[in-house]
Amino acid sequence: MSAVLRALRASWGILAILLFWQIWVGLSGVNSIVLPGPAAILRSLADAPGLYLSSTAQTLALAALGLVLGLLLGAGLAVLTWFSSLLAGLLTPLGIIFASVPVVALIPVLARIFGYDMRTVLAIVVIISFFPSFVFTGAGLRALPPGSADLFRVLGASTWRRLTLLALPAAVPDMSVALRLAAANSILAAMVAEFLMGTSGLGYLFAAARSDFDMEKALAASAIATVISVTSFLLASRVENWAARNWR
Amino acid sequence: MDAQPAIAVEGVTKRFRLEGGREFTALDDVSLSLAEGEFVTLLGPSGCGKSTILRLVAALEEPSAGRVAVEGRPPAELSRQHRLGVAFQDHALLPWLDVASNIALPFKVAGMRVDAERVAGLIRLVGLSGFEKARPRQLSGGMRQRVAIARALVLKPDVLLLDEPFGALDAVTRRGMNIELQRIWTEQRTTTLLVTHDVGEALFLSDRIVVLSGRPGRVVRVVDVPFERPRHPSIMRSDLFHGMSDDLTEALHPPAELP
Repeated sequence: MSAVLRALRASWGILAILLFWQIWVGLSGVNSIVLPGPAAILRSLADAPGLYLSSTAQTLALAALGLVLGLLLGAGLAVLTWFSSLLAGLLTPLGIIFASVPVVALIPVLARIFGYDMRTVLAIVVIISFFPSFVFTGAGLRALPPGSADLFRVLGASTWRRLTLLALPAAVPDMSVALRLAAANSILAAMVAEFLMGTSGLGYLFAAARSDFDMEKALAASAIATVISVTSFLLASRVENWAARNWR
Repeated sequence: MDAQPAIAVEGVTKRFRLEGGREFTALDDVSLSLAEGEFVTLLGPSGCGKSTILRLVAALEEPSAGRVAVEGRPPAELSRQHRLGVAFQDHALLPWLDVASNIALPFKVAGMRVDAERVAGLIRLVGLSGFEKARPRQLSGGMRQRVAIARALVLKPDVLLLDEPFGALDAVTRRGMNIELQRIWTEQRTTTLLVTHDVGEALFLSDRIVVLSGRPGRVVRVVDVPFERPRHPSIMRSDLFHGMSDDLTEALHPPAELP
């Protein structure tokens, strides 16, 4: 009982907006092509759960895989710059250029290289997730506890042990910040890519429904995307808090 | 055989290049030597280059002139063989490791199997039993320094280097830590070089005190400490202790400089 109350207290703002939306749509009589109410959207979700489920599963899988690959790639390249300042001079400007090109401009180019299918979606998510990981891991590898660099030198640590026992663990809190920043964006990037290429997934579902003037379906797709984004952001924030508690 | 000192600093000068190309002489023609099993303190005002001597012995700096040798070899060789133990004023504990893992760290850095019994023994020695699983941020400043000292001792180093290990502690804790360190050292008898600006700390702990002057650092006096070991804290109240303490304080601050 108290759990229900607590949930209500935390989310009454959102519930109020949904209620206002439903009442306003009913009273003003706007066409459902312009804006359907929340109830109609829920109905659409309940009518064809299979359609939403398969699209969501595909987008979620691509976003998650792309997120993991992007984070690993960014962390891996950051480690390379840690080993060699020569590589840092090569990789850092390249990373910044890649991160500065708008995704929308990259998609047509990548689609020609990888084909108009899931591979391009994956590539986009990887590129989006790569940059925060590259920057934050790079900073974290150099943010060592005071005195620890001298300590490792006096202990006669090899470069490899300095990386695995000191620099990488020291970078964990910063890596978790990169995860938090990239997690919500990865869903968004996957949907934008699917939207623009129009082959499959939640983004395609949205695009197709919109061109059919099926606004219930379009808004149901974006509602799912919102829930996933918020959830992944909250989960990643938990990871970040855990890392800040245990690694600093 | 015992002719070779454990640590030899011979005619060492250290200059640092400052911004703008000016040179700053931190140490000027400093010589000192430690016999094996000796506890020697470098005593001097802040900025006299005493930490620089320690960093030279730890192979963290190279001398501009002169020679530093540990057991007759360059210090870098000793650190490569993981035979140096250090504790700095920054405890330099890794925040993501608990007490036991921090103390075991030198084993891992050296690529050796962790000797859990040795770690447990040191935790007992420094009086931290029950805190094995605690993280550094859950400990007080004095407890962190105990962990740092245990970590410095864990590989049974040939040489122990202590750079103001209690410098950040309050006077009461510091006194307690000195009594602890003297007890721990009496059990291990490792050749030790301590850097401090605290006269009482130097007198209570060391066999010999090397007094340095400031800017550039030079050896102005070497004092043998006559107290028998093991030393009881009560010697700190003896007349001899007070007399030597006054002498050393005067050597640190020549009367001409006092108001």
